[in-house]
Amino acid sequence: MGQLYLNKVTKSFGDLDVIKGVTLDIQDGEFVVFVGPSGCGKSTLLRIIAGLDDATRGDIVIEGLKVNDLAPVNRGIAMVFQSYALYPHMSVFENIAFPLRVEKMPEAQIKQKVEDVAQVLQLDQRLQQKPGMLSGGQRQRVAIGRAIVREPKIFLFDEPLSNLDAALRADMRIELTKLHHDLAATMIYVTHDQVEAMTMADRIVVLNGGYIAQTGKPLELYHKPQNMFVAGFIGNPKMNFLPATCTAVSDDGVTVNCLDREVIVPVKPREDLVGQKLTLGIRPEHTFIGEGDLDFRITPTVVERLGVNTIVYSSTNEENRFSALLPGAAPVVVDEPVSIAFNTVDCHLFDENEIALERSTALTEIDIEKLAVQSA
Amino acid sequence: MSNQTAMINRYKWYETLAIYAGIALFLIFILCPFVEGFLVSLKPLSRLFSSPYRFWPENGSFDAYVTMWDSVPGFARYVFNSLFISTVATAIVLVLVVPAAYAFARFEFMGRGPLLAAFLAVNMFSGAVLLIPLFRLMRSLGVLNTYASMIIPGVAFLIPTAIWLLRTYMVRIPKELEEAAYVDGAGRFYTFRRVILPLAMPGITVVAITTFIGAYAQQFIFALTFNSKTEYMPLPIGLFSYFGRQEVIWNELMAASFVGIAPAMIVIFFLQRYLVSGLTAGAVK
Repeated sequence: MGQLYLNKVTKSFGDLDVIKGVTLDIQDGEFVVFVGPSGCGKSTLLRIIAGLDDATRGDIVIEGLKVNDLAPVNRGIAMVFQSYALYPHMSVFENIAFPLRVEKMPEAQIKQKVEDVAQVLQLDQRLQQKPGMLSGGQRQRVAIGRAIVREPKIFLFDEPLSNLDAALRADMRIELTKLHHDLAATMIYVTHDQVEAMTMADRIVVLNGGYIAQTGKPLELYHKPQNMFVAGFIGNPKMNFLPATCTAVSDDGVTVNCLDREVIVPVKPREDLVGQKLTLGIRPEHTFIGEGDLDFRITPTVVERLGVNTIVYSSTNEENRFSALLPGAAPVVVDEPVSIAFNTVDCHLFDENEIALERSTALTEIDIEKLAVQSA
Repeated sequence: MSNQTAMINRYKWYETLAIYAGIALFLIFILCPFVEGFLVSLKPLSRLFSSPYRFWPENGSFDAYVTMWDSVPGFARYVFNSLFISTVATAIVLVLVVPAAYAFARFEFMGRGPLLAAFLAVNMFSGAVLLIPLFRLMRSLGVLNTYASMIIPGVAFLIPTAIWLLRTYMVRIPKELEEAAYVDGAGRFYTFRRVILPLAMPGITVVAITTFIGAYAQQFIFALTFNSKTEYMPLPIGLFSYFGRQEVIWNELMAASFVGIAPAMIVIFFLQRYLVSGLTAGAVK
């Protein structure tokens, strides 16, 4: 019902290409999150799908129908804006009823529909109030209500939670996930917050500089990023990158010289790698104090104790920040060197072009399908 | 919220004194003519030129407010004319300016910048500078000695300021509101009527008030030049009737001035109630 296909969509403002050819297939009922740093084109892409901006080239196809020249309302989409865009002079009821009034729906039907939506969003006590009297979370719900009431095929959300405080954001995240489950509608959600992306998405589209850096299930992106950008973008604190040199390849993986030690990283080998300068990636949460396949001493410059975890930051000799996510009670003190270790199974390896070599070992232990089903 | 003033608003006693002294100076300067005018209207004509001059009227009375209607029988008509001209001019300005300001605020079109600059430039010329060409224009149009001769130039000179005022207000209405309405299927006109107009009401009220005052004030020059019919005279011209051949009936002239201003004051007072500030609260964020 809400199937969307983007075919080589590009968008230019003058000489500036903001979207540089995006091809994407979104299935009915999917919750897809566009994520990326500021200026990566994610909001522009959403506006193109909505019909607020037009694509310079390429097709937008909804349910097999090319909608490039259709007005938003005829595309069967509804959009929730970052700023909510509520009409301040209208009551909550009228705000939600607005799309129906445009359609000239009979009054009784409008009342019925608005009340149903208000019920779902727990706004039934607020229908006669003006948006100015509501809290941020309630305003957000009104904006969502205005989208739901039209029963669109595809919902578009443009960073809807970015104006809320952290606690409310967590609540709304859960509500939105539940809403997606209840409505079973296609949702496209733009955010720069990777926590929102990881927790809510069926599939994440990571955008970088107008290109799709990678598309995949949340844990797929986490465990098997296809390039250094995605590896660095997904995960918090950021993945550490260390320089390494390839010395040999074999069926077991790629042998690299890293931190003055020779280790075999279990990734899919490629013949041309020998002698290349590679980058070895290790997530902070996969490091520990003690000895491992690789270990080295760092001097913590900042220690953040979060209770459950302790994050240690240090500058290695290459000016790169190295961070480690350790247990809450980890015995680390600022300025006192500590030995940090990690194992090659947890390592990522990137070639000169920052393209990842596919990890081979971790896959048997991590059933992405199973994890994805549980988290949904 | 406590009763204490915020730190930034706290002043030493001598600072407060200086502030009020400054305010008093300006207020006295501006209000003195009004006070003097009012006091004159209370004095009998014979006492006005008594020497030494007395500021406070002796045996003052409101007689002038009664006799003025007899001295100049057309006075009520002049007040009506003034109100009529100003009201019609304001109405025409609003009808023209509201859509224009919206277009200037929202649409990108060729010549938008130069046009706005031109409007500003027009403001630099008062109507007085252009009286001769305007007179010829009015004559060609055949509207000399009609209401139109006073309304049309009035409207023309009031539009630029009104557009600038309202455009500034409309630019501040969040664009997302229109986009949201557009996504929900509303057309331009529907959005304009249901979303933009209600939100622009405070701005429109300000424009209405300034235009009305402007029309009231500027009609003098147009009425003096383009109209010679007594029955179309607005108040400022009508007041000349109190200038007799022999003498000027000062006390009635002052009384008439105050009575003449009253309707305009009442209109403004009522319009002011629609100046609801912060109407956009809760729209975005």
